[in-house]
Amino acid sequence: MSKITHSPPDGIALKLKVLAKEKEVVRRKLVVTAREKEVVRCKLVMTAKKLRLKARQLAATAREKEAVRRKLVVTAREKEVVRRKLLVTANELRMSRKTLEKKVLERTKDLEKVRAKDEAILASIGEGLVATDKNGRVLFVNKACERLLGWKEGETQGKLLLKVIPMSDSTGKTIPESERLITKTLKDRSTTTTTTTMYYKRKDGTSFPVAITVAPIFIGKELIGAVKVFRDITKEKEIEKARSEFMSIASHQLRTPLTAIRWVLSSLKRENLTEDQAKLVKTAHETSMNMASTIRRMLMISHLEEDGMEPELEQVILQKELEKISRLHDAHRQRNGLELALECPQDLMVRTDKQLLIEILDNLLSNALKYTPRGGKVRMSVTKEKESIRIDVADTGYGIPQEEQKRIPEKFFRASNVASPVEAGTGIGLYMVYNIVRLIGGTISFISQENKGTTFTLLFPS
Amino acid sequence: MSKHVLIAEDDTALADLMAKVLSKYNIRVTITYNGKETVEALEKEVPDLLLLDILMPVLDGHGVMRFIREKQLECPVIVLSNLSDKETKDKCKEMKAQNYFVKNDLDDDDLWPAIEGYLR
Repeated sequence: MSKITHSPPDGIALKLKVLAKEKEVVRRKLVVTAREKEVVRCKLVMTAKKLRLKARQLAATAREKEAVRRKLVVTAREKEVVRRKLLVTANELRMSRKTLEKKVLERTKDLEKVRAKDEAILASIGEGLVATDKNGRVLFVNKACERLLGWKEGETQGKLLLKVIPMSDSTGKTIPESERLITKTLKDRSTTTTTTTMYYKRKDGTSFPVAITVAPIFIGKELIGAVKVFRDITKEKEIEKARSEFMSIASHQLRTPLTAIRWVLSSLKRENLTEDQAKLVKTAHETSMNMASTIRRMLMISHLEEDGMEPELEQVILQKELEKISRLHDAHRQRNGLELALECPQDLMVRTDKQLLIEILDNLLSNALKYTPRGGKVRMSVTKEKESIRIDVADTGYGIPQEEQKRIPEKFFRASNVASPVEAGTGIGLYMVYNIVRLIGGTISFISQENKGTTFTLLFPS
Repeated sequence: MSKHVLIAEDDTALADLMAKVLSKYNIRVTITYNGKETVEALEKEVPDLLLLDILMPVLDGHGVMRFIREKQLECPVIVLSNLSDKETKDKCKEMKAQNYFVKNDLDDDDLWPAIEGYLR
């Protein structure tokens, strides 16, 4: 501000001057203000620019945020879906766990039942049973085994089987370990069975005869041990002995006196007897011969069933044997008014077992005569075929009912139409015939019609 | 001189019966009841025919046949046995028994002619 000076003459000019000065000041002040304003404006422009930038940035951020938010929303949704799924799965899992538990329980019960059953079965087996590992050490024995061998429960566990049960043969000689079934089974991985009678030693040193089978135990292809089953055959041995003793008695005690009787009668027949005496002696001799042949058949069947029979081949003149056989039945045949025809090529020879052939033909002829009513005819004919001999025994008898024909080879079978009304029979003759025919390598067949007759045909190698 | 038949049979009834039947042929008959007696009789005199049982006490028929072979005695043997098994039959055949008859299976009317054959 400038200093104002007052002068009267120049009052107005002065005043104007002052005013101008004041105006100038104001103007200058205004310029300054304008400049300041300009500065401010510039600043404002700057600020505005910055602000715009910021706004832009903010907008970008907001967009990003929005994007993120959206993404989050999506994720949240997905999470929800997953959560729901998890819930379902969890439920399912809970359910299956329960089912599983139930099933496991059921299975365990089943297994226990099966195990109890298996154990009961093993415990109840009458045969002795031992299971070993692959080194032959005892893993399990059943009650029968302990009872038979005199061991207490669990006493044999883990021990070597070979040591626990010593084995010997019928002479009392101990069987070496290398010969024992269990050794062989574990070595050869195959089942072994006793073929001769062996003896087991009990804990107290006494022995008993046994039949043994040892089998390997495999899991997949791996051998894990062996299982042995054995049976006390003392009873069988006793029966076998009794049987052979009986056979010996039958052959000796029965045969010898019978032979004496027969010989007396046959020598008597050769004496000068009156007709009546001769008749009686002949009948007595015939009866004793029948009894002898019954005994022979008994022994023969026993031999056949034991498989202990082998044919003894010799040259046989067929006609001679046929005549001999027919003579044996003469008395019976004449009594019953039956006709018998023999047809055989003269001097026909065959190499076979004579006794067995006689047995077959004797049986067939005996049946034919027995089961043909009075006045009937029986024909026995021999024909030589290419490589075999054919013998037909034909009768005009009762025949065999159609429905029973296939039962003819059975032991003790007798056809119903002859079982009671006709003579006594055992049903053993044809059973024997069928077995003997097989033995001499032949075949037998028949055709029969009830009340017309029967023809048996025997074919055997010449 | 009449023919001599030796009967070796432990069953006295059978032995006596055979002797009785054979006696009518105008021959001499000696009976022994076991194998040992038979061997002793053979040492004394070799018969024209020996009827030999197999199952006998002390020494069996096989033993008697062994003795005959060892001593190389000229004596026909007819075996009359209750045994019908192949093994026994084969054993007797091997020992040169002339005939083998199973007492039980024998057609009785064949026996006497077979014996007579050796007595002519």
